[in-house]
Amino acid sequence: MSEKQTILVIEDERSISNFICRALTANDYKAIPAYRGKEGMSLFFSHSPDLVLLDLGLPDTDGLDILAQLRGLPREVPTIIISARDRESEKVKALDMGADDYVVKPFGVSELLARIRSALRRSDRLKLSQGIQRDVYQIKDLTVDLARHQVMLGDEEIHFTQNEFKIIELLAIHAGKVLTYDFILAHVWGPYSSSGSNQILRVNMANIRRKLKENPSDPKYIHTELGIGYRMLDD
Amino acid sequence: MAFFRKIKVRFSSIYHDLEALFRRIPAIPRNLMVTALFLCAAYWASSILISHTGGENNSALVFVLAVVLISLLTSGYFYGIAASIIGALCINIYFMAPYAQFSLTRAGYPVAMLSMVAISCVVCALTARVKKQAVEAARREKNTKALYEMNEKLNAEKAAIQLQSEREAIRGNILRAVSHDLRTPLTAISGAVSVLLSSPEVSPKNLSMLTDIKRDADSLIVMVENLLSVTRLQDGTFPLKKQEEMLEEVAGDALLTTRRHFPDCHIAMDLSEDILYLPMDPLLIKQVIVNLLENAIRHSGDLEHIRLSLFRQEDYAVVEVRDKGCGLLPEVCQAIQAGKPLPQSLSGDTTRGMGIGLSVCQRIIKAHGGFFAAGNDPEGGAVFRFGLPMEEHSHE
Repeated sequence: MSEKQTILVIEDERSISNFICRALTANDYKAIPAYRGKEGMSLFFSHSPDLVLLDLGLPDTDGLDILAQLRGLPREVPTIIISARDRESEKVKALDMGADDYVVKPFGVSELLARIRSALRRSDRLKLSQGIQRDVYQIKDLTVDLARHQVMLGDEEIHFTQNEFKIIELLAIHAGKVLTYDFILAHVWGPYSSSGSNQILRVNMANIRRKLKENPSDPKYIHTELGIGYRMLDD
Repeated sequence: MAFFRKIKVRFSSIYHDLEALFRRIPAIPRNLMVTALFLCAAYWASSILISHTGGENNSALVFVLAVVLISLLTSGYFYGIAASIIGALCINIYFMAPYAQFSLTRAGYPVAMLSMVAISCVVCALTARVKKQAVEAARREKNTKALYEMNEKLNAEKAAIQLQSEREAIRGNILRAVSHDLRTPLTAISGAVSVLLSSPEVSPKNLSMLTDIKRDADSLIVMVENLLSVTRLQDGTFPLKKQEEMLEEVAGDALLTTRRHFPDCHIAMDLSEDILYLPMDPLLIKQVIVNLLENAIRHSGDLEHIRLSLFRQEDYAVVEVRDKGCGLLPEVCQAIQAGKPLPQSLSGDTTRGMGIGLSVCQRIIKAHGGFFAAGNDPEGGAVFRFGLPMEEHSHE
């Protein structure tokens, strides 16, 4: 791909928008700034970007409305949410509505770039596979074989319980994307399972972590999004 | 009514004066003495009256007066009744013909004597009641006065507290607003500088200045986060946003954040065998851990051997940060154990940022019902440790 990937930045704070755009340009992306929600939508249709960075606290429209509009389109564009720390529930809602990832103010440039790369890679992968699900997922030296129901760490097979495997499977299929507790609970234990507590998921995850010898301070396979959910790393 | 009250007050004041006088004498001899004194006085008065006026009926009234006074000044009914009987006998013997002898023979006399005893008894009972009421009134007055004073005091205290809490609320709101407004520009500054730092057009001279700007902006970001947490804690109206959390995830996140601020440091994390899933405010606890780690990085002088451990100790989930650096001064240890802010001389330039960081940590842990401790490892280095209760305490 010789053509530069385009990123639409919908953010009302000019100082933040400026440095994000500069960072994106410096890293070989084409950045399009939009300071209002409506402006953002029209720029989206005229430029059809590869990715959208979306601030939830916009002055004219609710960021979640814009997200809903984007999700209603036939072409799925990866979206990364920019949010303030105290808008936890909004963040979770945005992720449940289909946003790929989020960064919290104050965030660092390298963190933002890493998330953008990951989301773009994921969308490329989806485009290539064209909806056909793969049987084998590879994350570093971890191999998840969905057909054989097998997880290999290097050459060694690791045994998981049914639910633990389901969690790993779900994370692997959506590698690179943040999955919320509710999303995982609904897919592994059924839609009416959560009833307000996610303890069962958290304990299962603690066990998975121990089996993979994974330390949350240095995650190799599964990244914890504190208070939100989990994400399988894909690089 | 006012007149009666005055009488009541006077009664009670007379009573109080005499009582104060008599209090030194034991009750029984005192009462006997009073009784004897007034009976003698009545006898004496009657004998004077009878010799001057010759009338016999006066003596009965004199004795009734004596009984009234006796029952007023003695405790209980006994002395009054006894005095009335003695008085009746006395009148019979000394002030009625035939003099100097007891006789019931005179026509109508038994009725007169009985009615005198009855009147005396009734008077005596009434007096006792008045006395009781006087005491009661005095007591009630004292209570009312005490209540009133207490009420006054409470009102004053309440007003002071209200003022204080209003002031705190205003201060909290201002701080929070300021912190919020600081956060966006700081993110922008830090972000802009990091873009510049990675661009090739910056000369080496400017590079060092930009590095300084970036470092200062980042430390300001940490400070703003601290301020936000303090104001959230001080609010009181906002209780902790507690939810069940996996401690290792919170600690891992804290370590990742710290590593982002200090890419050169090496921090190892030991996981607990137990699954530590407990109620907490994850953002605040994360901040405590970040603060402790940054503390170790800034002050121990040893960036290689910082260790973050999680373990279970009885009913507490414990987080421990250890370094192999220069250790803590005894004053610092003492201040932390006592839960006091660090002495001014220690929280100055030499320990930049430490004072606010640690006091924030302590407050957060206290609000969780946990413990906070600091000390030195005998093998060298400082140890900071805090524990959070595994179960929600019911006292709140």
